Amino acid sequence: MIRIAAVVRFTCLAALSDHPDMFKWVKLGKVFDPTTGSRSEWMKEFAQAPCVLKFEDFIRVYFSCRPAPDSRGQYVSRSAYLDLDRKNLFNILSISEQPTIGLGDLGSFDEFGTYPTSVIRWNGQVWAYYGGWTRCDSVPFNVAIGLAVSNDDGATFSKSGPGPVLSYSQEEPFVISGPKIRQFGDKMFLFYIAGERWLTNSGRPEPVYRIRMASSRDGLIWKKHNEDLIPRRLETNECQASPDVYFSNGRYHMFFCYRYGLDYRNHSRGYRIGYAVSEDLEHWARDDSRAGIDVSSEGWDSEMVSYPHVFELDGSVYMLYLGNQVGRHGFGLARLEGSL
Amino acid sequence: MKWRKLGHIFDPSKHSLPNNCAEYAQSPQALVLQDRVRIYFSTRESEANGKFLSHIAFVDFNKKMDCCLGVSDRPVISLGSLGCFDEHGIFPMNVVQHGEDIYGFTCGWSRRVSVSVETSIGIAVSRDGGRTFERRADGPVMTSSLREPMLVGDPFVVMLGGVWHMWYIFGVKWAPANNVDPAPARVYKIAHATSVDTINWARDGKQIISDVFGPDECQALPTVLKIGRRFHMYFCFRQATDFRKNPHRGYRLGYAFSDDLVTWTRDDQSAGISFSPNGWDSAMLCYPHLFESEGSVYLLYNGNEFGRRGFGLARFEG
Repeated sequence: MIRIAAVVRFTCLAALSDHPDMFKWVKLGKVFDPTTGSRSEWMKEFAQAPCVLKFEDFIRVYFSCRPAPDSRGQYVSRSAYLDLDRKNLFNILSISEQPTIGLGDLGSFDEFGTYPTSVIRWNGQVWAYYGGWTRCDSVPFNVAIGLAVSNDDGATFSKSGPGPVLSYSQEEPFVISGPKIRQFGDKMFLFYIAGERWLTNSGRPEPVYRIRMASSRDGLIWKKHNEDLIPRRLETNECQASPDVYFSNGRYHMFFCYRYGLDYRNHSRGYRIGYAVSEDLEHWARDDSRAGIDVSSEGWDSEMVSYPHVFELDGSVYMLYLGNQVGRHGFGLARLEGSL
Repeated sequence: MKWRKLGHIFDPSKHSLPNNCAEYAQSPQALVLQDRVRIYFSTRESEANGKFLSHIAFVDFNKKMDCCLGVSDRPVISLGSLGCFDEHGIFPMNVVQHGEDIYGFTCGWSRRVSVSVETSIGIAVSRDGGRTFERRADGPVMTSSLREPMLVGDPFVVMLGGVWHMWYIFGVKWAPANNVDPAPARVYKIAHATSVDTINWARDGKQIISDVFGPDECQALPTVLKIGRRFHMYFCFRQATDFRKNPHRGYRLGYAFSDDLVTWTRDDQSAGISFSPNGWDSAMLCYPHLFESEGSVYLLYNGNEFGRRGFGLARFEG
């Protein structure tokens, strides 16, 4: 039955797209713009890396935002959420009044930012895995993944410890970031990025990072897979981020974003959304031509699209994603026609 | 414990060292070879910005430790690549021989912005009898974790009964700068980890040596040796602030013992080694290292100014 349904779907889409298996996402528009929709000093701009937690009447979208930069132009990144009406995802019910996760103490891995955040219901609590940012001397930053736990259904979080839950290791020497937490069967999986090398870039170093995975029984002790999951396509300096894995119809679907390693803050080299599929979580077949969502010809997502997050709600599959300037002006929503 | 001081045995300014290093020979660590005792130490290269890079070098002694045979004529191990945990220094490197293999457990340093530094522990391997080492990977084997938020370093590794034991330190906090101390002050404690493969380490982030100065005591560089049926640990400790020039608050040697490697009894009164009335180790004692050669037990350590003028030696007398 499943196979027959798939054939029918492919036949229908063939008329609409170049690739017979391409997904079709219908862009519904921008959901939230922090530069106009927030009155908090700690939420002046950017609403990055959205991630959904479902409730009965609403969905809570976690994201990372920033206050104005300091006198040297440097930002910190804070974690926040907003609640969207389940019956109308463009109706914002409320916005968190305080950051959901505190910044780390002096000298800690997360002193200068918590970005991004990925949440899951686990053991009757809500667990948040987040990238903690510190500032370095020879390179601008380093990142390791922290854990914070909520006992009030995801409104406030306290850290499980002062240090990171997943950090640098022999094969992953720096920039352990972009966590996406999932449960498949009785195991937890973290999809994340790991830095491979820093490009000197004439004194303004930029990291090259790739998509990685770790698994755990308890969410605290993690076993790293220590392999790149997604082959490079653009160039050896390609950077990959936001590995968002969604299980549907017996397969694991990953939407992620990727860009060139340098000079990427523009239309031609900036982030695009890619796609890969796997039967076993370890072996992935990349086929960006199936992703089915690209930059618009004009408007808020005309230069880049990035940080996809796929979720199902009331019979439809949606994607939240960032537009130009990696979410400086917020995130938007698309709906899938058909199924994954 | 009774020690006989044998004096200031190595002064880096009297030798020609690689990497333009002329001062500091810190944290001496012995590798006892068939025909010599190779003592690795961390020495410093000055950068144009006024900061230092710590490099590993070594000096060879005869096995009776009374004759210097020469120093390393080339860099022992390169520093890490851009953005890596050991980019700005390796200090110290604990060298362990196990069968044919010679491992270097490194404490790598990288500079931070809000605080001066972060450290992690890496592994390097020598394939030429300890003359040079190559890191096994760009990343560390032990770094900060949930309960060890920063400054994991100072590894001292021993194989006991088929299990690798590591004593090391981890940071518990950085105290903010204030009127007295213009820079943030770190506080770190001694802990213990075990491994069967030198790569995956089991640890619980618990401090194993009690404080005598209170919660802000800094404990560093544990070194452990079994004498008879008892394990003896030396380490150095100091106050968190005003420790560089004030001998009342600076590093001195501490001592603890254990019969089961689980519970340690701190007993500094029994350390048996302290400041000399004058001379090179009159204001500070730090970075101890225990080893055996030709049936004698020795203690290497640094003196005044954190080892700027090198290190000295003492012999155990029972």
